[in-house]
Amino acid sequence: MTFISNLINGISLGSVYAIIALGYTMVYGIAKMLNFAHGDVIMVGAYISYCVTAYLGLPPIVSILAAMVVCTILGMGIERFAYKPLRKAGSLAVLITAIGVSYLLQNVALLIWGSNPKSFASVISFSSIALFNGGLIITAESIVTVIACIVIMIGLTVFTKKSKIGKGMRAVSEDKDAAELMGINVNVTISVTFAIGSALAAIAGVLLCSAYPTLQPTTGAMPGIKAFTAAVFGGIGSIPGAMVGGILLGIIEIFSKSYISTALSDAIVFAVLIIVLLVKPTGILGKKIMEKV
Amino acid sequence: MSNMLNVNNINVYYGQIHTLRDVSINVKKGEIVALIGANGAGKTTTLRTISGLLRSTTGSIEFMDKDISHTEAHKLVSMGIAHVPEGRHVFLQMTVQENLEMGAYTKASYTKEGLADVYERFPRLKHRKNQIAGTLSGGEQQMLAMGRALMSKPELMMLDEPSMGLAPILVQQIFDIIKELHDAGTTILLVEQNAEMALEIADRAYVLESGRIKLSGTGAELAKSDEIKKAYLGG
Repeated sequence: MTFISNLINGISLGSVYAIIALGYTMVYGIAKMLNFAHGDVIMVGAYISYCVTAYLGLPPIVSILAAMVVCTILGMGIERFAYKPLRKAGSLAVLITAIGVSYLLQNVALLIWGSNPKSFASVISFSSIALFNGGLIITAESIVTVIACIVIMIGLTVFTKKSKIGKGMRAVSEDKDAAELMGINVNVTISVTFAIGSALAAIAGVLLCSAYPTLQPTTGAMPGIKAFTAAVFGGIGSIPGAMVGGILLGIIEIFSKSYISTALSDAIVFAVLIIVLLVKPTGILGKKIMEKV
Repeated sequence: MSNMLNVNNINVYYGQIHTLRDVSINVKKGEIVALIGANGAGKTTTLRTISGLLRSTTGSIEFMDKDISHTEAHKLVSMGIAHVPEGRHVFLQMTVQENLEMGAYTKASYTKEGLADVYERFPRLKHRKNQIAGTLSGGEQQMLAMGRALMSKPELMMLDEPSMGLAPILVQQIFDIIKELHDAGTTILLVEQNAEMALEIADRAYVLESGRIKLSGTGAELAKSDEIKKAYLGG
């Protein structure tokens, strides 16, 4: 029973990682950059949700929508003012800028909300499900998180396969110049990608803090790094890869916490990443690109 | 008749390297104009500058009486310029049909009609429409790249080395298609290393050498010129 309970917790935590990883992987796919500020957008989303419920007393669903709107604008703003001017600069300059934006967000949050952790009230109001006479308890947060992850995953897959903008995004991610020659506005496409990734980050932030209620300015940092790991693990640039990578990472983390050592769990997670990358450098679902000349 | 495309004295730099020096070319409606020259002469740079992927530091480019020197690349497609880039650059991970749909990105209402037209012109693409473009042969990819460009219903089609890396029989086929497109009313600016074939179908041609226009004239004139024979036609 503990095993199943651990598995469910792992899948649930992994679903949060997967939702965050989608943002990393989409932005990487389109803009070929690692947006290390992505984790901190999660934190901002959680704070917005917290403020809307705690100070304005509005219902949770409104707080989630507010967080999504604010994060979408924030994400597009970060792209417009921090990354767009560097479109033609080297990747190192962009990477350093991303780290800078990450610290900026953390410190602005520190300035606004202070360093004392806030206790985040779960946005999910229905109760846990008890099975086997209480032998197995599945929290409502787990269920909602996993469902949210599946819905987002399906939604994004349909969006990129069927919609015009989605197909345009795939074209840009494969070949920017050729996409431009098709009349696709690459800058708008990149902006849309940041918007989607950041809206997802808001959802992830609310779900994460609903399950792990301590909210502080550094809340997004570690999940952000882990989700990045998950994206690489699954094959960066691949949407199903982010999903698989996120969930596997969550399971590995919870299993190592409960069967090996809580203190070592992060080390184990990253060790697994290193091993996967040694064996398959493109990640689990990463594509090897065929090229015919 | 006024020119469809006017390139006036453009200079283009790649970092420190001065790749195009005072290049001027023009294309009239309904013509096939060839741009020939050795590797590195600046042929591809010229096309990339016209389509807005590169910028000239001086000079101007006009298309259908509008100055497009500073127009963003993605806006030129709806103005009527289609560019089939060197090395084809089809979207390898997308299906043949998705590639074609991308060609009509700015003219979505034309997609259906365009697909019918392209599939009629290139029956092989129709057979492979659900196949991933990365699995096509080189010749098929070239057809796809050309079909994709046709999906925007262009006034001017710029083709960059369409024969590159293809077997002779396919080269002939590609040139036949270019002739067909021309007969159907498309104006064509053709960049080719295969000077002999290019001069054969071109109304006029320019010869680029080290970033400058060295010679220009009708296709037939240039094909007869001793200088061209020696440098590009193997004696």
